[in-house]
Amino acid sequence: MTVSSVFSPPGFNFSNEVRNNFMTEKGLPLPKATSTGTTIVGCLFKDGIVLGADTRATEGPIIADKNCEKIHYITESIRCCGAGTAADTEFTTALISSNMELHGLSTGRKPRVVTAMTMLKQMLFRYQGHVGAALVLGGVDSTGPHLFTIHPHGSTDKLPYVTMGSGSLAAMAVFESGWQPNMEREDALKLVKAAISAGIFNDLGSGSNIDACIITEHHTEMLRNVEMPNERVQKERRYGFRRGTTAWKTENVRNLIVKEEMTFVGGDAMDTT
Amino acid sequence: MANADGGAYSYSLTVFSPSGKLVQIEHALAAVSQGTTSLGIKASNGIVIATEKKTSSILIDDSMLDKVAVVCPNIGIVYSGMGPDFRVLIAKARKSAQAYWKIYGEYPPTRVLTQEIATVMQQATQSGGVRPYGVSLLVAGWDINRGPTLYQVDPSGSFWAWKASAIGKNMVNAKTFLEKRYNDDISLEDAIHTALLTLKEGFEGQMTEKTIEIGVITVPTVTELEEGKIGGETGRPKPTFRKLSEEEVRDYLAL
Amino acid sequence: MSIMEYNGGSVVAMVGKDCVAIASDLRLGNQALGISSNFQKIFPVTDRIYLGLPGLATDVTTLRERFRFRVNMYTIKEEREIEPETFAHLVSSTLYEHRFGPYFVEPVMAGLSKTPSGGVKPFIAATDLIGCLNFAKDFVVAGTASSKLFGVAEGLWEPDLEPEDLFETISQTLLNAVDRDAFSGWGCIVHVITKDKVVTRTLKGRMD
Repeated sequence: MTVSSVFSPPGFNFSNEVRNNFMTEKGLPLPKATSTGTTIVGCLFKDGIVLGADTRATEGPIIADKNCEKIHYITESIRCCGAGTAADTEFTTALISSNMELHGLSTGRKPRVVTAMTMLKQMLFRYQGHVGAALVLGGVDSTGPHLFTIHPHGSTDKLPYVTMGSGSLAAMAVFESGWQPNMEREDALKLVKAAISAGIFNDLGSGSNIDACIITEHHTEMLRNVEMPNERVQKERRYGFRRGTTAWKTENVRNLIVKEEMTFVGGDAMDTT
Repeated sequence: MANADGGAYSYSLTVFSPSGKLVQIEHALAAVSQGTTSLGIKASNGIVIATEKKTSSILIDDSMLDKVAVVCPNIGIVYSGMGPDFRVLIAKARKSAQAYWKIYGEYPPTRVLTQEIATVMQQATQSGGVRPYGVSLLVAGWDINRGPTLYQVDPSGSFWAWKASAIGKNMVNAKTFLEKRYNDDISLEDAIHTALLTLKEGFEGQMTEKTIEIGVITVPTVTELEEGKIGGETGRPKPTFRKLSEEEVRDYLAL
Repeated sequence: MSIMEYNGGSVVAMVGKDCVAIASDLRLGNQALGISSNFQKIFPVTDRIYLGLPGLATDVTTLRERFRFRVNMYTIKEEREIEPETFAHLVSSTLYEHRFGPYFVEPVMAGLSKTPSGGVKPFIAATDLIGCLNFAKDFVVAGTASSKLFGVAEGLWEPDLEPEDLFETISQTLLNAVDRDAFSGWGCIVHVITKDKVVTRTLKGRMD
């Protein structure tokens, strides 16, 4: 079961398709999948790439996860931010990461950013937009730093500063006014933080904390929750219930400690000397 | 892919002789014992696998030869026998490790991966139109459940766990040598030296960093594991298997 | 009306101090009509992992068997019990395999995982219907009452609750949330998992 092809696209199973279509026809619409409304950004600076993301995951109007991770690992010096259907961004990046590792092992070199970009766009194009992943891919390889955006239908762009997701307009406004060529590391990080903040505070689909990732030729620094501008304050009072508040009808205790006792039945005990 | 599941006209080449032997497998083992010597030693804090790298001509660019292969961050393999067969098995092993990772979010334990490779090798002894793989493997790996483990896989598809083993040309002598040298609380450093000493017996020519390949498993400490588990969701675990660089091999040879 | 509301049902899981709790309602409905007040939605996977499957009842049953099969195969092949993190990934990849023809369930998992130094660590996780994992540090909710559960849990949950206090918190969260959900209710069941025992209690709740 585990020996399935890895280079081929993930083997999707359509066995529920007929039933599900029937139910949809009967007026039972599909439930919503978790999506990342999202602000994700990336920008080029003097020695590499800075990627940034917010940490909110939504399910329609509900916040499903207040602190999710949207900067995905591709290789040690390539990372990918994901927006769109959360499961799609998660599994698409995992698949490409897996293929990149195999590629690296069989070529004996560090795989390049364009390789990841090509694998991603070919997969997304093959699924004609049904795999709903909008990505910002960045990294440094033997040919220098690279930054791409990949749209759900498979089109790509290569730009010095990029934004994606529902907060992309807010974030791009910050980049357009603040980005300069050959920025210092600290300035680039500051700009990325400002761009994500613009998304967090002005876009409903984005929120909570800022994640960033600084990739340079020899080092990748993942800054999980670099800024937490929306920390929940300490509750004024404790709202715990006194023990015994809840009325219960039956109780069953499943003991996980196995007690063993040996009883010798008849005869002499075994000679163990 | 070859029709390995046996169509009507593809008969298995591996058939029992009247005395109950599978001669094709014995021939495969003969091919292995003509291959260069490889060995593995399990130490108290790790494992070493090592092999002799021999080229038929000095004109061959030996930087291309890779006899110790990384399968996934916690498993490495060395072989004796036919290079091309090994290459195919490694590709399958790597794919299998990645397929496991995609399902369970972690790399396979050594035993599971070894079993997977052994299954592939067994299949070749029973399928139509194929021959058995002409390699024996030494699989070294680390996992949280069983710690460091060393397995040997043979062309028949059988596999065993070893404390120390040798395969290839000098396996009988090398194993006797290892039996004399081995003790349970040997350290990884000592094991590497023992490995080199064992290879030296019956080594043709000069032992240099170009003619020796070494891979090691380093057992992570509990603190390292606890730290690894915190960022375990996006950060990858630190590799426990790695190949020694030419410089490192040279340093060990100098001692 | 969505498919999730066809049979109704809700599950919640919470983290406590060296313990976890998972609770669900017991209703099985056919749209607005109540069918059963003893429909199991939480299943033991190993001694220390419990899996909640709110959603379409036919898929609840199917997936329960699929996971039982996969976990049994894992246990036999690897000669060890599956860890909660590993199980969560198994659930996630199984659901994503059906990305374009999904099962209508939103799994919730609760369990205790072993730490390298030999202790136990509470673990909870939830996925959406196509397997997007959500590892939360406080609580996870799913099902038709999820929006209400989010609200109540956000107000009541606090860190480092002892098993008995966690029982009160999760019980009150669930009872009060399902009271405002037409598709969940008809009794509740709570499991509190600690290092050496699992306490299961059925709660007294509204039956309307």
